[in-house]
Amino acid sequence: MVDEKDIAEETDPNRSPALASLLSLIVPGAGQLYLGERSRGLSFLGAAVILVGLLTWLDMSLLYIGLLPFWLWNAWDARQQAQGRQPSFVLGFVLIAVVVYAIGWQVTEISVLKLVEGVPRIQPVVASLLKPDVVTRDVEVMEAIHIFESPCSGSPPAVAQPKVDAPYLITEPTCADVDETITVRGGNFPPSRTGELWWENPIGQASRLRARGEFVNFETDAQGQFSQQIAVPDVVPESGQHGPQIHEIKPRVSTPVGSPHASETFWLVVRRVGETIAQALMATTLGILLAVPVSFFSARNLMAVNPVGTAVYYVTRTLLNILRSVEPLIMAIVFVVWVGLGPFAGVLALVAHSIAALGKLYSEAIESIDPGPIEAVSATGANRAQVVVYAVLPQVLPPFVAFSIYRWDINVRMSTILGFVGGGGIGFLLQQWIRLSDYNEAGTAIWAIAIVVTILDYASAQVRERIV
Amino acid sequence: MLEIQNLTKIYEDGTLALDDVSFTVEDGEFLVVIGLSGSGKSTLLRCINRLVEPTSGRVIWDGEDITAASQEELRKIRRQIGMIFQQFNLVKRSSVMTNVLSGRLGYVNPWLSLAHQFPREERERAMHNLELVGIAGKAQNRADELSGGQQQRVGIARALMQNPKLMLADEPVASLDPATSHSVLKYIEHLNRDQGVTVLCSLHFLSLARRYGTRIIALKAGQIVFDGLPEEIDDHRFKEIYGEEAVQVEVR
Ligand SMILES: Nc1ncnc2c1ncn2[C@@H]1O[C@H](COP(=O)(O)OP(=O)(O)OP(=O)(O)O)[C@@H](O)[C@H]1O
Ligand SMILES: [Mg+2]
Repeated sequence: MVDEKDIAEETDPNRSPALASLLSLIVPGAGQLYLGERSRGLSFLGAAVILVGLLTWLDMSLLYIGLLPFWLWNAWDARQQAQGRQPSFVLGFVLIAVVVYAIGWQVTEISVLKLVEGVPRIQPVVASLLKPDVVTRDVEVMEAIHIFESPCSGSPPAVAQPKVDAPYLITEPTCADVDETITVRGGNFPPSRTGELWWENPIGQASRLRARGEFVNFETDAQGQFSQQIAVPDVVPESGQHGPQIHEIKPRVSTPVGSPHASETFWLVVRRVGETIAQALMATTLGILLAVPVSFFSARNLMAVNPVGTAVYYVTRTLLNILRSVEPLIMAIVFVVWVGLGPFAGVLALVAHSIAALGKLYSEAIESIDPGPIEAVSATGANRAQVVVYAVLPQVLPPFVAFSIYRWDINVRMSTILGFVGGGGIGFLLQQWIRLSDYNEAGTAIWAIAIVVTILDYASAQVRERIV
Repeated sequence: MLEIQNLTKIYEDGTLALDDVSFTVEDGEFLVVIGLSGSGKSTLLRCINRLVEPTSGRVIWDGEDITAASQEELRKIRRQIGMIFQQFNLVKRSSVMTNVLSGRLGYVNPWLSLAHQFPREERERAMHNLELVGIAGKAQNRADELSGGQQQRVGIARALMQNPKLMLADEPVASLDPATSHSVLKYIEHLNRDQGVTVLCSLHFLSLARRYGTRIIALKAGQIVFDGLPEEIDDHRFKEIYGEEAVQVEVR
């Protein structure tokens, strides 16, 4: 019946292929609508309106060209339809998809060029990340001090004499203007070593001497002596206005002593990783404890026995769904405002998310229990508590445990990044170091996260295998 | 003595599952309930221990009105009525031993039982009942590791823990093969003959009903259409119960 009617329509002489394709050329889908193909026509029209609208709004007029193939195809389609054929929609779909992906490419600013250009910038960062700051050795510093005047006054400081038993420095002359070259000679340093030259300005700010951007070093000879030409640095702002001032020049040779030991960074990271794990532990435990009662309220088979129960069921379910759709990072921001910066805010965020996620999984486990054993145990004359312990718990405990372990894994991961928004844990240090470009330290944190997460994942996989 | 008086059950959706059913079961009888699927056999058995609440009518056992009992009284009554199920209804993840012990929950100290603590004599009783049904060796296995026939024997052992005076068996062999069916029914027959337990058992096959029943009740659309001795069911009666097209299938 339906077929006959369709054929009758398609061979209707009033429906001209030329008019149909012309209509579609002017407004996509119009030709199809004219032919009575409502859903096809409307979807073409909708696609065209949305795409043209997007391109105009996003100011991507160049991409109008990309729309052309679809436009032409749609006119051709109208012509085919008018001639009683049903061309496949696939080509049109592909042509639309091309434009959509082109827009997506633009919006997300994908650029292979940037990826290549940035390589020199990222290389040192990656190198530092791969060299975490974990082990250091104590250093013993040998230092000499010589005072120096700049610019010169009538009575410059006296020339120092070589010392017998301590490192010393002699400068000639003992005063000079900025950028003038002077000679510094030192002795009684460890032999055949590289040392640093530090310069302390009149208000006590010390910095390493540089020449053309590079640090200036000196090399001691076999007797522990050196001689080096340096330019007087410009270390006092507007020095010309201050008149002659006294500076200090400090050559310095550092010698690592003692055995390697864990660095300060290492201990900082350990402390924060501990805090991270503690957060995951507290959040998972509190989440489980609160999710269990919540899951009873959101289990249909327990609640939907009377109208009040049904209402409670729907309210709880809806609340859980809303809560679950909010990312923990966003919750952490809210809780940071509520209880202040620190691990507690992070714990609260994780607890809220855990309740939502576990509440749903637990209630589904409750909903899928077999009522048979419950009937059987009730029929023996057992009381309610006994029925729960002997017929309900054995059915729900294994899935509960499995879901809880899974949640623990997720909470460990999440707690490592909560610090980015002030929620405590290792993430706090990580974002600080990244911001300060301390990539060795950041690398330490990243390594710590990777190692801890891997170990805990492995451990919980083992536990899961045993229990479930 | 068990008296069923004008028992009617209408489910929430309006289904009339039992329609004014009355009969009496004397102590020591092996009463088989037969009838087509949906005729109300399960509903009848479940109304007796009130797993299903009857809509009207009374169930009186040894002079006590079960239908009027409070929750506390009902528990006391239930622990004397064993029940076995077509789907066995074991707790699959628990051990056979725990499943059997759960049959004793109505008798033991409820607080200790919540911590899975049972007196030694109860554990011995459980072992003894498992020996009776021939699977003492599986006591520590998980229930779902057993075959269907073995699971049903665990179900019987669980019911035996109650020292029941009355045994309700709802199609206890419907999911078992013929040979296993006979062995399970023989345990029930043994209970009935040697320990004087009254048995109410629903069965699908007339041949099994004839072989084990001392009396047969037939249900059709919630009403009793036959009540008499097994040998009284001739071809005419059979067609009345099961419909014109039915043919008898033998289970040997
Ligand atoms: N919980 C329930 N809610 C609504 N209707 C039910 C319920 N349980 C059973 N019924 C209906 O009551 C009628 C009797 O069911 P019952 O389970 O007692 O039959 P039966 O004789 O045991 O059948 P079978 O041989 O298939 O087990 C059927 O029509 C069934 O659909
Ligand atoms: Mg049934």
